[in-house]
Amino acid sequence: MNELAGGVITIGWPQLLLSTGFVVVVGILSMRLALGLERDLAVATVRTFLQLIALGLVLRWVFGIDSPWLVLAILVFMMAAAAQTIVKRAPDAPPGILGSSMVTMLLTGFTVTFAVTGLVIQVEPWYRAQYVIPMAGMVLGNSMNGIALSLERIFADLDARAGEVLALTALGATPWEAAGDSVRIAIRAGLIPTINAMAAAGIVFIPGMMTGQVLAGADPLAASYYQVVVMLMVAAATALGSVLAVLLSYRKRFTADGVYLEKGYRQGR
Amino acid sequence: MLLSAEGLTFTSHADPGPHVVLDRVSLALAAGEIVDVRGPSGSGKTTLLRALARLLPDGSGTLTLAGRPAADYEPAEWRRRVTLLPQTAAMRSGTVRDNLLMPWRLKVRSADLRPPEGVLEQALHDVGLAEIALDRDASRLSVGQAARIALLRAVLAAPDVLLLDEPDANLDNESAAQVAAMTERFAAGGGAVLRVRHQRGDVAATRTLRLVGGHLTEVES
Repeated sequence: MNELAGGVITIGWPQLLLSTGFVVVVGILSMRLALGLERDLAVATVRTFLQLIALGLVLRWVFGIDSPWLVLAILVFMMAAAAQTIVKRAPDAPPGILGSSMVTMLLTGFTVTFAVTGLVIQVEPWYRAQYVIPMAGMVLGNSMNGIALSLERIFADLDARAGEVLALTALGATPWEAAGDSVRIAIRAGLIPTINAMAAAGIVFIPGMMTGQVLAGADPLAASYYQVVVMLMVAAATALGSVLAVLLSYRKRFTADGVYLEKGYRQGR
Repeated sequence: MLLSAEGLTFTSHADPGPHVVLDRVSLALAAGEIVDVRGPSGSGKTTLLRALARLLPDGSGTLTLAGRPAADYEPAEWRRRVTLLPQTAAMRSGTVRDNLLMPWRLKVRSADLRPPEGVLEQALHDVGLAEIALDRDASRLSVGQAARIALLRAVLAAPDVLLLDEPDANLDNESAAQVAAMTERFAAGGGAVLRVRHQRGDVAATRTLRLVGGHLTEVES
């Protein structure tokens, strides 16, 4: 029998092992079809186990200590990891992008997270880890995706439009005027997945956080209110993050004199 | 002298490894002149034009326009006066009119008056594009049409110096003659022109220079 905690069926080691069985099936499939995914699948499964259980242990410890400094330190660590991920996902971006990604994550992450926990949910005290950390996780995870998409797009689009950028610059355009079209395209690219998710939420899929609250025994209507707040918060964070990241970084592809650095001129930059 | 350059030097780090493209190149352009630059492919003719337009990252040398050093001009202001027309015509999405008027949407020309419709239509007529309506979608222009519209756009914006990178490379003889005539009118109006060419010759050029091995020399006519 599974133990009941507050009406919730808890999962133990036997259930975890059982669910691993599904992955084993996929592994066998991969071998039969020569997909070559067995190794990646195994590593990913082990990582899922280790990272999420570690997260559970860390959160349990943090909730117990209840210190504002610890919560802030964890947020900064999460933001640094997000900035690092963004840089990895935009390999064509110019050097120096880590700094602007970090600034973007810090500004977006802190502003949106605390706007929600402080003003909307009105958490007392303001740093209560049980609310702040999961909210920050959702803000950072989603805006990170949007920002990475935007940054990947801005530099790809500028390269694709390099001839037009040169022609505009040659007529006296500033970097902002020459890059404007690409900036808009990139910001849109970062926002579209979030807007699509908002439009499909509740019809095509049940968002993760609502699922979690319902499974944990919350009233579905109360959970849906929370989910609305989270989705709007994620949209705001993604928009703010994409705009900031693109505006802080597109100029790095231009020289101080406003010349776009085409591929042939990038050595040592 | 309208535009003069002293000691232009540029080392390329692109393939096939570091090599000097411009080696202390100097030149001077007077108002009303049309000067051709010739030289083998890859000899740095385009690089020279970019250096003069202050569009060359990491180039060095001294540039002077109308007696004032380059540092006296904001980069965008310099390029408004010394305008490069790249070899590949880049049209923006929109109509032919949008493209011809694009320079006036830039901050650097925000105080200038836009040319009226009649001027645009006359200009199209003068380069053999009378059949092109101003409302035509620019993406539906042929390469040769786009090349002439890009040139028109640069000429209408009235710079002091025009730097043309193979302006007639994609044109038939008749269109090339119209482009040459437009270039001559620009020079006759007090502008200076530096043209990179390696196909045709025409009588428009007042002088011809040759760029080989990073050095620029005058060709005796």
